[in-house]
Amino acid sequence: MGTTALIKKEHIYLQETLSSQAEAFDRVAQVAYESGAAQTKQAVIHGLAQREAESTTGFIEGFAIPHAKLKDITEASVIIIQNQMGIEWNALDQNPVTFIIALLIPDAEAGSTHLNLLSSVSRMLVHEDARQQLIKASSPDDILNTFSSYIS
Amino acid sequence: MKKFKIIAATGCPTGIAHTFMAEEALKQAAAKLGVEIKVETHGQIGVQNELSPEDIKQADGVIVAADKDVGAERFAGKRVLDVPVARGIRDAESLIRALLNGEAPIYREQTAAKTEDELQTGEAASIGRKIYKHLMNGVSHMLPFVVGGGVLIALSFLFGIHSADPEHPSYNAFAELLNKTGAFGFQLMVPILSAYIAASMAKRPGLIVGFIGGMIASTGGAGFLGGIVSGFLAGLIIYGLSYALKKMPQSLEGLKAIFLYPVIGIFLIGAVMFFLVEPMTAINEGMKDFLADFQGANPVILGLIIGCMSAFDMGGPVNKAAYVTGTALLAEGNQYFMAGVSAACITPPLVIAFATLLFRKYFSQQDRNAGLVNFILGATHITEGAIPFAAKKPIPVIPILMIGSSISAILTYSFAVQVPAPHGGFLVLPVVTGAFQWVLSIIIGSLIGAFLYGFYQKRTYEKQKG
Repeated sequence: MGTTALIKKEHIYLQETLSSQAEAFDRVAQVAYESGAAQTKQAVIHGLAQREAESTTGFIEGFAIPHAKLKDITEASVIIIQNQMGIEWNALDQNPVTFIIALLIPDAEAGSTHLNLLSSVSRMLVHEDARQQLIKASSPDDILNTFSSYIS
Repeated sequence: MKKFKIIAATGCPTGIAHTFMAEEALKQAAAKLGVEIKVETHGQIGVQNELSPEDIKQADGVIVAADKDVGAERFAGKRVLDVPVARGIRDAESLIRALLNGEAPIYREQTAAKTEDELQTGEAASIGRKIYKHLMNGVSHMLPFVVGGGVLIALSFLFGIHSADPEHPSYNAFAELLNKTGAFGFQLMVPILSAYIAASMAKRPGLIVGFIGGMIASTGGAGFLGGIVSGFLAGLIIYGLSYALKKMPQSLEGLKAIFLYPVIGIFLIGAVMFFLVEPMTAINEGMKDFLADFQGANPVILGLIIGCMSAFDMGGPVNKAAYVTGTALLAEGNQYFMAGVSAACITPPLVIAFATLLFRKYFSQQDRNAGLVNFILGATHITEGAIPFAAKKPIPVIPILMIGSSISAILTYSFAVQVPAPHGGFLVLPVVTGAFQWVLSIIIGSLIGAFLYGFYQKRTYEKQKG
């Protein structure tokens, strides 16, 4: 299975104007709910917030990977939001977050290809050049291309 | 030259993102520094890229970057850096450099012997982390005993404060069952704490010796502080024994586990602990005498002393001195003194309960749940509810509880509240003279304590993130 099956163009949002982590979670949940990847919006918001409370998912240079594994999620999905302003996320380097890559996983998922793909998304972010390409991306297609060139 | 070989294991509770970011960061750093690396990941998918015994044997150094158990005991005898997963992501390069420079301690067996050196070379942080890990293992195993036992005892009070006493008119057989069963939970509390601290240090041989040490601490009246001491002593005894018995032939390995560790270990912990609990009675008596001189002191001084004593060891010799003096004076008809003691004993669990409620964001889920139970335990004068929290971080939690309890007791004495019952907490309110002032005093003391604890927790939380 290719990356495009998991990362959908309509799940990529650029130049957003979110102002807080709570708004970002709300937005991710809204997208998941509307696209049918999650049964309820509230469960997703709660799941993301709960994971965040354990330890930050903020990475460095403005990237964050909020994630949740829930019963209410019906389809493994990646939701990408690029925000105009930095959002406080308590990230590893304390930088505000502008690039959110949310990973949503159904509870039933175990040992499947989806999980492998999702872990590749996390791995990719560790690479400086991948991060640069994502930051420079100006369209959803740019972002999709970056992902598919790093994840096979 | 042969390439330097590193193995690593990464893991995080959710196992979706950080496990793999740490893996990638370590691989990237290894490539940059020209060392060979194999990384085992403990993710949601399960264990991937598992390290074989051969891998472990050949490795020149090990990095454990995990916030969950990844079976690190496999790496005994290796140079191991044990760090949180976030450091594996952020400091991958410096971790590998540390291994290359031979700065990592050798894991387990020889760790005990190396402890001294490490402390002096600035590795104190990792020692602190280890001690905390052992302590937490004890506390998390103890917690359900405190909750289960405490709630049953609290329920028994609903049948009447003396309903578990067959001699008393309000006797109820079911209340007695609840009360006695709950009491067993409490009796096991200190032994469990001690046993699992020791088990975290020295596996099963530690568990055995820690249990016995905890029993001696518990029955000898040394309270939970005694249990913490006996747990660490038990672990150290097994470290010492394994060092002393190192030269024994391999064929006698089985004899060690089933015979030598238990027999010698239990003997040694007994010898040390009996010596240590010996002065407990003396401390208890001494504190009682000390207290006798202050019975008529002004409310502030008396409240301060009672508050500090009651919250200091929660069931240990110092706390008991205050409590026993209170019941003795009650028998003589002095109901003022007991009011302060009760207030000081009710406060610690309420401090915990309010802190975990008002500062919930900074506490783990487990702590929050246990925190809520503390409302019940506090309201029924079951001070023990606060013990798991105090045991985790004796400093500064115990001093904070002492401040809260002192304020409650000082206010109670200032209002001249009279409490005629030695137990039961708020369930005895109908017979309390000045019930409103009493509850007010306790809530003020508890809230002040809760804010101090909450702010401390917030600072720790933020420091960990930072």
